[in-house]
Amino acid sequence: MKGTPEPANPEGLLGRSSGPASLILSSLADGAKHGYALTKDIESFAGVRIAPGTLYEALSRLEAHGMIEALESQDRRRPYRLTAAGAAALSSYLETQKKVTEVGLRRLASNWAPA
Amino acid sequence: MTTHADRAARLLRWYPRAWRARYGEEFAELLAADLADRPRSARRTADVAASGLRARLADAGLSAHPLDHLTAARAGLATAARCGAAFLLAGLAMWSQVAIGMQWARPRHQGVTWALDLMSVALLGLALIALPAIAGLAKAAIDAIRRGRGRELRGPAAVVLAGAAVLFFGARHFQNGWPGTGGHLLLAQAHIPAWLTAFCWAATMWMTSYLAHPAALAAFPPGQLAWMACSAIASFALAGGAGQFLRRLDQPPAGLRYAIWLGRAASACMALFITGAARWLISPDGGVMPAFHVGSIDLAAMALLVTSLMLSGRALRGTTRARLALARTGAR
Repeated sequence: MKGTPEPANPEGLLGRSSGPASLILSSLADGAKHGYALTKDIESFAGVRIAPGTLYEALSRLEAHGMIEALESQDRRRPYRLTAAGAAALSSYLETQKKVTEVGLRRLASNWAPA
Repeated sequence: MTTHADRAARLLRWYPRAWRARYGEEFAELLAADLADRPRSARRTADVAASGLRARLADAGLSAHPLDHLTAARAGLATAARCGAAFLLAGLAMWSQVAIGMQWARPRHQGVTWALDLMSVALLGLALIALPAIAGLAKAAIDAIRRGRGRELRGPAAVVLAGAAVLFFGARHFQNGWPGTGGHLLLAQAHIPAWLTAFCWAATMWMTSYLAHPAALAAFPPGQLAWMACSAIASFALAGGAGQFLRRLDQPPAGLRYAIWLGRAASACMALFITGAARWLISPDGGVMPAFHVGSIDLAAMALLVTSLMLSGRALRGTTRARLALARTGAR
């Protein structure tokens, strides 16, 4: 009954729960934002509205893995910002996704092009 | 009129206290803003409920994504202890019933004797594991008191001691209050002391199929009914207090490793007990005597035994994961 250690590299976390996590990191790449601003920004660029519970579950995991950090705030809305580790993880993840996208588009173009 | 802030505060109750302490205010702000955007949304309610329940699992050491590793290690041990207590309650109720039945009637099938032997050996193993576990906890508690951190342990320790005292003295008082207990007519079955089975029977008297038959239950003497209520409360207090004590106890890495090792040994005994219990349940003459036939209460107890074992195993894995993470980061 050997315990499975937490992923040492942040890419591991991002790879497994890439949905909300990659959207949040992509949004924070533009600057620090609080929860509601994150929801609105993600809705504008991805067309999906992340529900509050899902958003904070992802935020707490990303914070626990050091990919984002909370900033001090004067009011109750606490903003979060991307860390260097989070930026590296997002970059690595997006590079992989870019390759997948390119391969998929190339194969579609060669095999499923309109006659 | 209910404001968005009131509704957000209600939704926040899905989350455990530690999570609310860290994220509560900002999450309530987000919820209030979301409620202003979309006053009615079943999807939002379901999402918050599901996420809150997952946070509660993490808070109990049953999920791989805790708020912090030290809290997760303690929470996992606490959950494993609570599961162990639930297992002991259901196990002792079942074991004492079979053992008392066999003091009155010789089973027609050897399998029932094997079942009782397996269950007895497993319980003996758990009792032997409890001794070093209690010694380890006492040492850690004394260390905590020396460091001036004994104050937060007082409450749970008092609850545990009160629950144990009520169970011990109450069960001693009631153990021979029923004609079926207190004697062994068959010398061949006398390898288990009759006083022990009677004591365990009395301590778990409230776990009875009579709960499903209120009219029959109402015919019990008032003293026994009062004891059933008291012993149930004392049992929950004992299990809850032990869990709270473990959550608050600051254990060094070696103490965590020791506790995990004992927990694994206890899991092996629990699995052995379940094997014996299953053997009894499937025996053709599981009903050693008419008053002790296998019934729905025994199937429910079996379900509780299996669930407790699975949850304690999961909690121990969570504790191990948290301990490894603590060792990796060099934190305590």
